Amino acid sequence: MERRQFLNVTLGALALAVVPASVKAEDFRKSKPAVWTAHTVDDAIKALYGSTTLIEEGVQLKAAGESFDSGKKAVASSGGAIPVEFGTKIAAKTIAVFQDANPESAVCVISATKYSVNDYSIKIKMGKPGTITVVVEGEDGKLYAAKQTLDVALGGCEG
Amino acid sequence: MAGIKVKAKLKGGVVKVKAMAKHEMSTYNMMEKKTGNRDDANFIEHISATVNGETVFDMSTSQFLSKNPIFKFQFKGDFKKGDKVMMVATDRKGNTIKGKGKIK
Repeated sequence: MERRQFLNVTLGALALAVVPASVKAEDFRKSKPAVWTAHTVDDAIKALYGSTTLIEEGVQLKAAGESFDSGKKAVASSGGAIPVEFGTKIAAKTIAVFQDANPESAVCVISATKYSVNDYSIKIKMGKPGTITVVVEGEDGKLYAAKQTLDVALGGCEG
Repeated sequence: MAGIKVKAKLKGGVVKVKAMAKHEMSTYNMMEKKTGNRDDANFIEHISATVNGETVFDMSTSQFLSKNPIFKFQFKGDFKKGDKVMMVATDRKGNTIKGKGKIK
């Protein structure tokens, strides 16, 4: 047992030495590989957080210029680059973005750092109309979410 | 791969960063059509930013970011103008692309 632990520690130290960028933050592609192959949003959220109980409050989301609470359906002219802005005032551990239009669901997972101001903007691809879900894992362990459905005039994923 | 363009601006104690990584971000389906091999897909899997050795932004990503993806993020802390924001991204093939920008 001791020997095994020694090996683990040594290997861990070696891995850290090779990839210094991953010392502090978690690489979710390595630690949670199932998230990236999940085909539905629910599966992906479950693979990442172990729960799918979402509280729909406290998260801001704006896709293709339409805020999620405006009541309007957003329309993206090109599915190749849809601007998605999201943020939260909740003290967050991680923030994840999912959509249900592409073969797999996960788009990205951000590990918030102590310096983070949780306000982000990225551009994503969607092959067809769908719903974007942003999930914030609060430091209290609860999952907060916001969803925005949008139309895609021209799919961007099959290119 | 030409790296990552980084623009950072300090205002009101908050540093706003806009970064563009030059990368094809091809998906499995795209490559299957093109080359017949799903495994040719290549996209950024992980991107992070550090200032003075402190990680300020860290994101694991999938193939559904747009081509040449743009990231906007913000952070605050004990940073000043002239500090350098260093960004590193790793793609599926194991290539590393880097970029840096001064906080203005």
